[in-house]
Amino acid sequence: MIRPKYFFGETFSILKRNFLMCFTAITTVAITLFIVGLFSIVVYDIQSIMSSIERQVELAVYLEDNISEELNEYIENEIKSWDETREVKYISKEKAMEKFKEQMEGSSILKEIQGNPLPASFEIKLTDPKKVDQVALRFLDKDGNYIKGVDEVVYGKSYVSRLFSITAVIGTITFLIIIVLVLSTIVLIFNTIRLSIHARRKEVEVMKLVGATNWFVRTPFLFEGFFEGFAGSIISVIALYFLSNFLIIKGERAIVDTMHIKELAVLGSSNAIIYIYLAILVAGGLIGILSSGFALKRYLKI
Amino acid sequence: MIEFKKVSKIYDDGTAALKDITLSVKKGEFLFLVGPSGSGKSTFIKLLIKEISATRGSILVAGRNICNLKTNRIPQLRRNIGCVFQDFKLLPGKTIFENVAFALEVIGKPGYVIKVQVPQVLQLVGLHNKMNSYPYQLSGGEQQRVSIARAFVNRPPVFLADEPTGNLDPVTSDGIMKLLSRINLVGTTVIMATHNESVVNSMRRRVVELERGEIIRDQKRGVYGPS
Repeated sequence: MIRPKYFFGETFSILKRNFLMCFTAITTVAITLFIVGLFSIVVYDIQSIMSSIERQVELAVYLEDNISEELNEYIENEIKSWDETREVKYISKEKAMEKFKEQMEGSSILKEIQGNPLPASFEIKLTDPKKVDQVALRFLDKDGNYIKGVDEVVYGKSYVSRLFSITAVIGTITFLIIIVLVLSTIVLIFNTIRLSIHARRKEVEVMKLVGATNWFVRTPFLFEGFFEGFAGSIISVIALYFLSNFLIIKGERAIVDTMHIKELAVLGSSNAIIYIYLAILVAGGLIGILSSGFALKRYLKI
Repeated sequence: MIEFKKVSKIYDDGTAALKDITLSVKKGEFLFLVGPSGSGKSTFIKLLIKEISATRGSILVAGRNICNLKTNRIPQLRRNIGCVFQDFKLLPGKTIFENVAFALEVIGKPGYVIKVQVPQVLQLVGLHNKMNSYPYQLSGGEQQRVSIARAFVNRPPVFLADEPTGNLDPVTSDGIMKLLSRINLVGTTVIMATHNESVVNSMRRRVVELERGEIIRDQKRGVYGPS
């Protein structure tokens, strides 16, 4: 017995008659999901900033002076053959000097340098920056000395390990906060919808007394729950859209500018935020329906 | 039509509302259930529509034992039992027409049937000219007549009334009783719980008196008090 006309009509008239309750439920959904969404976006943003900082972890392999062309080529090929290597750049002695001069322009130190004391080097970028330790070890022989042709390997060991432990802690904390937020959102929405059903328990009672089946009673409420959840999530997504466009991206630019970070995954240009929006919409509708279903259980027991 | 066999109801808090009740009501009978508050009248009514379940014994409605009725069959039972209550239980947000139509919508009757049957039954209770009013615009007696119309609109074989005149003055009560008599005249079994003495005495129908959960009197053409 499917009678869509009755159910839609009934849902609509419920919404009309219980405007205030309905309005409360929608606002609750909108506000709570907005907070969850905002937090998710900020977390995502922090994560992408972190990983772009991580991506900049690189090894500098300084070579001994006057090594043979073959050895140079051998080391380069060796580095290139590793899975962890994302990019290798050779910096010759001349190029190193050029860069140094650029950085030190105007300084008196340049006048005091005679000849070219700077070594040639390889700059290695890794696919997984966390493996920087392992890669550095490959330049040592079994006695702990650098292999032939390599003078020194530099990668800011303590800085790198601290960076990774910070990102791990931030990751765990934000994950926990999001879980707590999502749970409290569900409880809050559930309670609001339960209140709005409680306000209409008389209607449910009458329906049951004249012989309505449980599904018949339930369906308009489920529609209503879905509508409220979905409407609320649409409002929160719209608010998030404007906020992230105007505030976060501006803030990000400021971070990029002040911290001199290259290749930062700027949020506005990323697709991930669309998935956050979609998740909010789906969650809104789902929480609405489920809340209605569970909240009704008590009143259907007549 | 209705048979109670050694029915007991003990609530969770230990109160025994009905004790070993055995009673049979024939089809088309009109029965008054009388007794002071707390004697078990409402429990009796609630057991019949399976709002609550009996602790012991069996209740037969039209030959079916409703004590082991599955939850999903309860709506079917209730569609065969019209119910009215002291507090009318009308929906304040719906018009008189909608309140009555609601009972038909709920059991899946199509719109064209509703359009015919609702005015008919409102005519029967004398409220066909107030179809578009809301419950709060009606007097108590009129509201009770709407609730009778709602309970009767799908012509149930059994009609239960729990203190239907409890909130009404004597003249209005008479009107309600005339209506219930008419419903009874077309072959409907009517069971009415009440402590309205004059109503019972003027009707001279079967009277079952309950006291502390037990039947202490069952008279064919009885009056309210023991004669």
